[in-house]
Amino acid sequence: MPESVDIQLKKGALDLCVLALLSRADGYAYEIANHLAEAIGMGEGTIYPLMRRMQTDGLVETYLVESTAGPSRKYYRLTSRGRESFAAQRDAWRAFAAAVEDILGEPQ
Amino acid sequence: MTREAFMVRLWDGLKGLPTQTAAEIVADYQAHFVEGAAAGRSDDDIAAGLGDPDRLARELRAEAGLKRWESERNPSAAAAAVFAVLGLGALDVLVLLPILIGVVCTLFGVAMACIGVMIGGAVVFAAGPFSQPPGGPAAALLAGLGLMAGAVSAAAVLTLVSIGLTNALVWYGRLHYRLLKPAIDPQPWATTEPVRP
Repeated sequence: MPESVDIQLKKGALDLCVLALLSRADGYAYEIANHLAEAIGMGEGTIYPLMRRMQTDGLVETYLVESTAGPSRKYYRLTSRGRESFAAQRDAWRAFAAAVEDILGEPQ
Repeated sequence: MTREAFMVRLWDGLKGLPTQTAAEIVADYQAHFVEGAAAGRSDDDIAAGLGDPDRLARELRAEAGLKRWESERNPSAAAAAVFAVLGLGALDVLVLLPILIGVVCTLFGVAMACIGVMIGGAVVFAAGPFSQPPGGPAAALLAGLGLMAGAVSAAAVLTLVSIGLTNALVWYGRLHYRLLKPAIDPQPWATTEPVRP
């Protein structure tokens, strides 16, 4: 079943977006899921398998933070490997996006 | 759907995964409901945002089976991968199943033939010197060795074919992920070397 260009684009950038959010501040899954669902329309359920995979790949690690209301929250932070991966992916994305922009902006 | 209904269906669907893994997954979604409720959302709304729990569980379980096949190449992992793909309940499983049964039976037949030729070769090799074969005992010994070598190489080819077919099935199975797809798809930016402008 062919997918729309829209979905293909989102999938390609999902990893990068999660890494970018975590590079600014540690976060918990609901916050990340909510942010990405609003910003790029990602399914919220997708974030959990994704976080598990990134954890298996050694890009993120978790720690628990006591919460005033309810059970303690599981926070994710980037590992040094995660930061390297983020830097590499961000540069690749920017170079690619700039190249596409150039082509789109070429005079007819 | 209520939170309880979602969790029960997810938990039921995850049976077959290691208990620890299933518990971690369930805890993640449980926390999602708690956070969502704290943000003022209804259980219905949160459940709708997460997607069908049965489907989610099936895909998570399938992925675990396929991962296992990728890390350990043995017959039991292959069987687990095959069942994982069947368990996905893709609509066209009715088309896939007869083909799969045919392929498995053929592979099994060829494997049996290899064993038969192997035994036959061993018999010829062992009996050669004691009977009166045409061409003398030396010819019988060589013929026995030849048969056994042939069986071994055929079995090796069979193994390669089986691995290839299982890989093809794994690829086919992953095509049918819906909820999990964005989470496990290879990310183009992950493998690309930084581009120097």
